[in-house]
Amino acid sequence: MKKIMIVEDDREVREEMRSLLENSGYEALVVENFENCLDTIIASNSDLVLLDINIPYLNGEELLKQLRKESSVPVIMVTSKVSETDEALSISYGADDYITKPYNPNILLLRIGAVLKRYNGDLNLLTYRDLKINISKGLIEKEDKKIILTKNEMIIFCYLLNHQNTIVTRDELMTDLWNNDEFINDNALTVNISRLRSKLKSVGYSDAIETRKGQGYILL
Amino acid sequence: MKVSNYLKDKMYIFIIYGFSYLVIMLMLMAFKADSYLIIGITTILFLSLLTILLIDYFRKVNFYNNLFLNIERLDKAYLVLETLNEPHFYEGNLLYRAMYDVNKSMSENINNIQEHLNDFKDYIEMWIHEVKIPLSSLMLSLNNNKKLIKQLKRIDDCVLQVLYYARSENAYKDYLIKEVDIQKVIKNVSLKYMDDLLSQKIDFSVSNNAGKVLTDSKWLEFILGQIISNSIQYKRDTDSLVKISTSEDDEKTVLTVWDNGIGISKSDIKYVFDKSFTGENGRIKNKSTGMGLNICKNMCEKLGHEISIESEKGKYTKVKITFAKNKYYDVVK
Repeated sequence: MKKIMIVEDDREVREEMRSLLENSGYEALVVENFENCLDTIIASNSDLVLLDINIPYLNGEELLKQLRKESSVPVIMVTSKVSETDEALSISYGADDYITKPYNPNILLLRIGAVLKRYNGDLNLLTYRDLKINISKGLIEKEDKKIILTKNEMIIFCYLLNHQNTIVTRDELMTDLWNNDEFINDNALTVNISRLRSKLKSVGYSDAIETRKGQGYILL
Repeated sequence: MKVSNYLKDKMYIFIIYGFSYLVIMLMLMAFKADSYLIIGITTILFLSLLTILLIDYFRKVNFYNNLFLNIERLDKAYLVLETLNEPHFYEGNLLYRAMYDVNKSMSENINNIQEHLNDFKDYIEMWIHEVKIPLSSLMLSLNNNKKLIKQLKRIDDCVLQVLYYARSENAYKDYLIKEVDIQKVIKNVSLKYMDDLLSQKIDFSVSNNAGKVLTDSKWLEFILGQIISNSIQYKRDTDSLVKISTSEDDEKTVLTVWDNGIGISKSDIKYVFDKSFTGENGRIKNKSTGMGLNICKNMCEKLGHEISIESEKGKYTKVKITFAKNKYYDVVK
């Protein structure tokens, strides 16, 4: 399980973030004593840090600067400061992404997923049971049988696969599609899912994607 | 300083002088003075009058001419005193000192107001950061309640509008211009309005053919957000569409937002960028502050972009943002 460190001084926000991350399958750690913030982060050996700018003692930008001297852990700045200068400054100090409050939780999760993926570099090697998924070619392969997926179908399939055995809402799928510049509507999503289903059926997995009424889809 | 007006102003001297001259002549004639003496005195009196007027005129003409010329030339006329030398004649001196004092008191006044404005703006910025904390907390805890999230987003939109109003009205530079990938801006704004677009059954499409533009991405995201939010608010009832497209040539990049919404009437369209203008549509929908497009216009002016709007009532509305290309920047790069 990936460990994510939350550095946020507002208790309410911190707890909400913690439960959001835990519900999405991450292990969430929080900083409660900001005096030794830097040591806590380094000692925790986290896979990613969510860092607020307005925190007590050292502000987020300074903290990031010092952190970068000792560690290359991915950092996403999460802040209420809406300004290009702050963003440029944070990026130049070594932040991997910059999100402004208040954010859509789905987008926060997507950005976290993207940064982690970039660091692990496992972009092109996905498998589902005995299917090999080749994202860059848009193919799923079973032995010598190849099936072409459209870009949308591939985005949906990868998202389901990354969240295998958990329920994925239509909202999450939609957010991921839009995040990949595919601005489709509700009908198109339904159509894409049923096409994906029939393609999976043709390689023998007719029951792979289940619909959970009122909740979303689940890849088994 | 016109000669004719100057002479008119000195009329009283001519009258007194002429009257005195007549009296002197009568006296001289009464004493049966010699005609040479009369001619001599006439010449002396006439020449001395001429000399006095000439000296007086030339002492003043330079100061006043410069004053008016510089007022006309300067775009900040109140700085005119800085461009002039202190005059050497008494009245000019008085005027100069009076103007100096008036100027000083005015600048102090303006400084006070400016300071006050800056304090206010700082306070607004601080307040907005403060209010965003409970907003985030709510947004996170309402994960699946669409109705409440929609209202929260409306609050957030209003809060952002205040922030950018404060920033765009202020003389200080609050933006940072750099190369920005226009696709990223479009994506961020689209994601922000995704829920609204989908729940209102608006078909949304993007065809981007442009690369990077020189702008402040946060500001541009706000501007584009306002335009899309208008498109959503003033959509038609069925089959509504919003299309974003971009095009690029050697001179400029153009970002266009087109919708097939209710449109803007001919009589209203000239005023849509004016402050607090709501027009027919604002009255129908009854929830318009009339500030959105005005803030966009001000922000575009500061960033050096051009924003224009075109519409036909009941058919479509098209908003265009034009980004000029900076040749100098390319050379430096």
